Amino acid sequence: MTATQAKPQAATGTGETRTLTLIQAINEAMAEELARDDRVVIFGEDVGARGGVFLATAGLQAQFGPNRVFDTPLSEASIVGAAVGMAVRGLRPIAEIQFADYMGPGFDQIISQAAKIRYRSGGQFTAPLVIRTPSGGGVKGGHHHSQSPESYFAHTPGLKVVMPSTPYDAKGLLKAAVRGGDPVIYFEPKRLYRAAKGQVPVQDYTVEIGKGAVRREGTDLTVIGYGGVMPDAEKAAQALAAEGVQAEVIDLRSLVPWDRDLVLTSVAKTGRAVLVSEAPRTANFMGEVAYVIQEELFDSLLAPVMQVAGFDTPYPYVQDKVYLPGPNRIAAACVRALNY
Amino acid sequence: MIQPFTSDPLRWVAEDGRPIRELPDRFTPAVLRELHHEMVRAREFDKKLVTLLRQGRTTFYAQSSGMEATQVGLARSIRVGHDWVWPYYRDHALGLAMGVPLLDLISQCLGTNSDTCRGRQMPHHFAAQRQNFVSISSSIASQVPPAAGNAMAQKYLGVDELTVCTFGDGATSEGDWHAGMNMAGASGAPCLFVCENNQWAISTNLKAQTASETIHIKAKAYGMPGYYVDGNDIVAVMEVLSHVAEGVRAGNGPALVECLTYRVGSHSNADADAEKNYRTREEVNAWLARDPITRVERLLDHLGEPVSAEERADLISAVHREVDEAVLRAEATGQPDWRIMFEDVYADTPVHLREQAAFLRAEQEGVRA
Ligand SMILES: Cc1ncc(C[n+]2csc(CCOP(=O)(O)OP(=O)(O)O)c2C)c(N)n1
Repeated sequence: MTATQAKPQAATGTGETRTLTLIQAINEAMAEELARDDRVVIFGEDVGARGGVFLATAGLQAQFGPNRVFDTPLSEASIVGAAVGMAVRGLRPIAEIQFADYMGPGFDQIISQAAKIRYRSGGQFTAPLVIRTPSGGGVKGGHHHSQSPESYFAHTPGLKVVMPSTPYDAKGLLKAAVRGGDPVIYFEPKRLYRAAKGQVPVQDYTVEIGKGAVRREGTDLTVIGYGGVMPDAEKAAQALAAEGVQAEVIDLRSLVPWDRDLVLTSVAKTGRAVLVSEAPRTANFMGEVAYVIQEELFDSLLAPVMQVAGFDTPYPYVQDKVYLPGPNRIAAACVRALNY
Repeated sequence: MIQPFTSDPLRWVAEDGRPIRELPDRFTPAVLRELHHEMVRAREFDKKLVTLLRQGRTTFYAQSSGMEATQVGLARSIRVGHDWVWPYYRDHALGLAMGVPLLDLISQCLGTNSDTCRGRQMPHHFAAQRQNFVSISSSIASQVPPAAGNAMAQKYLGVDELTVCTFGDGATSEGDWHAGMNMAGASGAPCLFVCENNQWAISTNLKAQTASETIHIKAKAYGMPGYYVDGNDIVAVMEVLSHVAEGVRAGNGPALVECLTYRVGSHSNADADAEKNYRTREEVNAWLARDPITRVERLLDHLGEPVSAEERADLISAVHREVDEAVLRAEATGQPDWRIMFEDVYADTPVHLREQAAFLRAEQEGVRA
């Protein structure tokens, strides 16, 4: 079996595993992809000698040399635009944008070039590339280091958008992104970089883009989230379990495409859905999930679909923790759905 | 005598403190002493902020140690409160020298109720209305096109102001930088662009940043003069900047001044291992030898008006006292509560935000919404 055909395997499978943090898993995925395919190149601001501001690329330049892993000038338009050009010419670029908040200067390259070149050229030219970027709050970064801009990108046809919350998914999704045929925006919930630890197989594996995961099984309602909010969603479910309520918890993992089947099957079973994200509420990607749930399951819903999201304010510095939907806010929304 | 596009940085005072050009009359020992004090104040402010970080009382800081001559010299070359400034995040020595109250700077770093920016931004991203010191954006070079627009408005309004726009060397790679430079050039607006070239953008050296030998020569492409100055020589900084500012104010159009300097510390507290990771002790030492504060002290020695050890110690402890007092005063005002999160998002708070505020109030106060 070639690497590109490798089947996703469960973390609990028979293969050997060990504990990694989310950022270690990301680092390993890149090291292995660099070793597997010499078309893979990694670049961005400070990813070389410094190893990235969060150290996601630590050691990669030393191991693979400055032709494979290199620093660029400070320009997101150049980074993304160059990634598009390299991908069109046959490389497999992994570009790092230092913070998701700084995708702005590269936005036009992402939406006008990366997202559209396959379509507008009738498939003659394609840009399979990965843009990795730390996103989300909880690190006292103020609004320029805490934003969750995934909805902008989910709104642009031609891009795939993923956000892992576990080391296993982080590694498997990144590998799938590198090996796939499309531009993938790969968001990394920065507050989980070191907080999320988990079992990761030693053997090569990928996690299919577009598939969610059930984190906890339950019958009374479905809590759906992705990225940085997942540990809090699980905490909320634990608190509810102590009260005798069994919440099913789903991690979307991929926003585009997203796992409608998994979500609809679960909500059809439980009759209630609570959608959790930390991005501002208005035009939040979860609005799409709510829309599909009501369209498909209107008759079987026992309560309106509830949304727990960030507030429609720029991300604040001092109120960093208040802004985020923590376990209590999530649990309160669940109770509302249950008591409806 | 002050020419654009020189191959070497313009300088007045050698590293050993001897003037290599005639010292302009305005640099009397008393004035040099004032400049020295201002630079020491900024340096000690840096040190105190690093201590506050270690104590966990603030969360982020990017020092300007080594860059004081550039920033203090700039403050002294413009009309504070009359001209407008679009700064970047390393500019608190500039802010201090422009007269932004130290309490305001500290309050912003601590995010207390005394923060004029109301705890919205991360530390040392301040704004000061009285000084026309416009709010700092973390997004590199995003201030450059607005600075051009600020200058275009000044031209349109026919006022005798100019706009100052500062940035690091890394910023000159961003599209926004080129867009703003081009806009200013094409419109002939009174914008003074000041590159604080400290030679590193986090771990990326100027050589990896651009194939251009210097930053100032890029001005040519935008139809404006570019000046090259020793940014650790405060006499040179003030001579060149005040000369160039006069021309910009007189309607000659925008100009770019590159101040060659060095960031002695790490990029920020998130980059503690600068030397281990990407630069050498030798390089840092070579630049320490060109320290802007020492240079003025040597110049004063040379002029026979040395700063005594006692004077310096008094000065330093006065700054420390000033910062300590400001910290206590700021902390005594407490932390802003959840309410302010919903203010200043719009001129009038729309209904959805009022609802969200009510929701949070209920959550925070345990009241039912
Ligand atoms: C658009 C954008 N991209 C990336 C960053 C992350 N970042 C913060 S400071 C910095 C380096 C800036 O270097 P330079 O402009 O030379 O200023 P210096 O810090 O050296 O004074 C980077 C890359 C950012 N703030 N904004």
